[in-house]
Amino acid sequence: MTTWTLTLKHASALRLDLRAVVPAALASRTLAEIERLPLAHGNDTLPLAEVFGIARADGPEDTIVFDGDCGRCDRIGWQLAGGRIDVRGSAGDYVGAGMAGGEIRVRGHAGVLAGCEMLGGVLDVSGNVGDFAAGALPGSMDGMRGGTLLVRGTAGERLGDRMRRGSVLVFGDAGAFAGSRMVAGTIALGGTVGAHCGYGMRRGSIVCAGALPAPSPTFVPTHHAFGVFWQLLARDLARFGGPFAGLPARRAQRLAGDLAAGGHGELLLAA
Amino acid sequence: MQINGVTIDDTFAEAFPMKATRLVITAHRLAWARHAAVAASGFATSVIACGCEAGIERELAAHETPDGRPGVALLLFSMSGKELAKQVERRVGQCVLTCPTTAVFAGLSDGEPIALGKNLRFFGDGWQIAKVIDGVRYWRVPVMDGEFVAQETTAVVKGVGGGNLLLLAHDTDAALGAAEAAVAAMRKVPNVILPFPGGVVRSGSKVGSKYAALPASTNDAFCPALTDLAARSELDDETRCVLEVVIDGLSEGDVAAAMRAGLQAVTARGRAAGVSRISAGNYGGKLGPFHFHLHRLVGVGDVA
Repeated sequence: MTTWTLTLKHASALRLDLRAVVPAALASRTLAEIERLPLAHGNDTLPLAEVFGIARADGPEDTIVFDGDCGRCDRIGWQLAGGRIDVRGSAGDYVGAGMAGGEIRVRGHAGVLAGCEMLGGVLDVSGNVGDFAAGALPGSMDGMRGGTLLVRGTAGERLGDRMRRGSVLVFGDAGAFAGSRMVAGTIALGGTVGAHCGYGMRRGSIVCAGALPAPSPTFVPTHHAFGVFWQLLARDLARFGGPFAGLPARRAQRLAGDLAAGGHGELLLAA
Repeated sequence: MQINGVTIDDTFAEAFPMKATRLVITAHRLAWARHAAVAASGFATSVIACGCEAGIERELAAHETPDGRPGVALLLFSMSGKELAKQVERRVGQCVLTCPTTAVFAGLSDGEPIALGKNLRFFGDGWQIAKVIDGVRYWRVPVMDGEFVAQETTAVVKGVGGGNLLLLAHDTDAALGAAEAAVAAMRKVPNVILPFPGGVVRSGSKVGSKYAALPASTNDAFCPALTDLAARSELDDETRCVLEVVIDGLSEGDVAAAMRAGLQAVTARGRAAGVSRISAGNYGGKLGPFHFHLHRLVGVGDVA
């Protein structure tokens, strides 16, 4: 197994597309081939070695380490199937988009569409993510379909838009329209929640562990005992710590909705 | 050989491969989990006519269950995975779904999955909700006390059915006392159930019958009424009552451990308690691949 450390030499003038730089792609190439790997840079391409210094070391699993501020580098971990990517700084847009397995760790912030259309694996962002995290790519019908997105900072608007499966946990605040048009899955929010939370959601669960949102009139309380399900879900979320650590010991109020879209979804408001 | 005056026959119990699963039933209070488990394991003494053999393995404390409520572990055994799936669906549908506050979970994680809540969800008439938590799918079905939560599938593993001990006693009191002591000791062994009423069966059977329609008939070799009449009686004139303890377990080792516990419990009481011999039922070793030799179980030679 190999650990590749790619050290950013300088911030690129234009957006840089790193979709080709995943552990499986590097594993089958020689160092010379990797140095010549073409990266889209605006309307042009650049060889990888022109932007990154490349170092190779043996490691426990196939890993790519991006060292430096990659805020202008998009599509890091695009459709990642396995291995690890460690971004020791911020990442650009589309980080972890379409990933099906493996793990991506972003130590800084991430741009828009982080973890969009994820199928599996874990995307862990230490900072904030932009709009449409765990959502759908433009023109696509389904958002995140599996895996776990952890955002230890805040999330922008339209978090989990059209999300179908998987788990999203935001330790901080979430913008407006969190969980909009959700088809299923779980979103857990640890901070404040923007307006129109769960707008048009068909199924799925949005857990509010921090400030309680003002629910839309199309969400109605259900006054039944759902302690079994709550314990199953709360215990699973509690293992991520932070604002979710104490969930199993807290009671929750359940609101069913969005009634405008069938009402099989739910807001779970932890008291 | 003899232990405390009790003769241990140089014979073996013959057991068969079965398909098995464990269910964990939880409820608001332990009593309701027990009610559901007792009902779900009712009429499940023998696969000859019940479809499956089932019993309560043990009670579970709140910290041992997925939802933090008290519960009961149930083991079910059948001759095929298909029949087991049918029995699980019927019994959970009629005895657990119906019981107030209960929820049901798979008690085994590795093995071929069969439906648990997968088909019962349709009772929800469209109001049912699925939820995947940590890779496991659950169904939530609205019912009159709230919602019934059931894991989608449970795992089927290969089990062992038909381990047994025959307790030969001077009279009914002595046989019952020994059987009760054996059952109490064997129920402490994990991964096993004793499917018959109170863990004990008095109608031990042999394979076949003079009547072509019957697959099994009375074990005449161990019937005191036939001591001097049956062609091959195993009993002497002093033996007036024989009881059998049947064991199903998740593995050969589990059945052996339970049989060993039963042997020790009965022999510890000594011959004075009324049991003169311990034997076991087999079919000459031709039918079942698992042979539990009594002498080996009590420490002479290897177990299997």
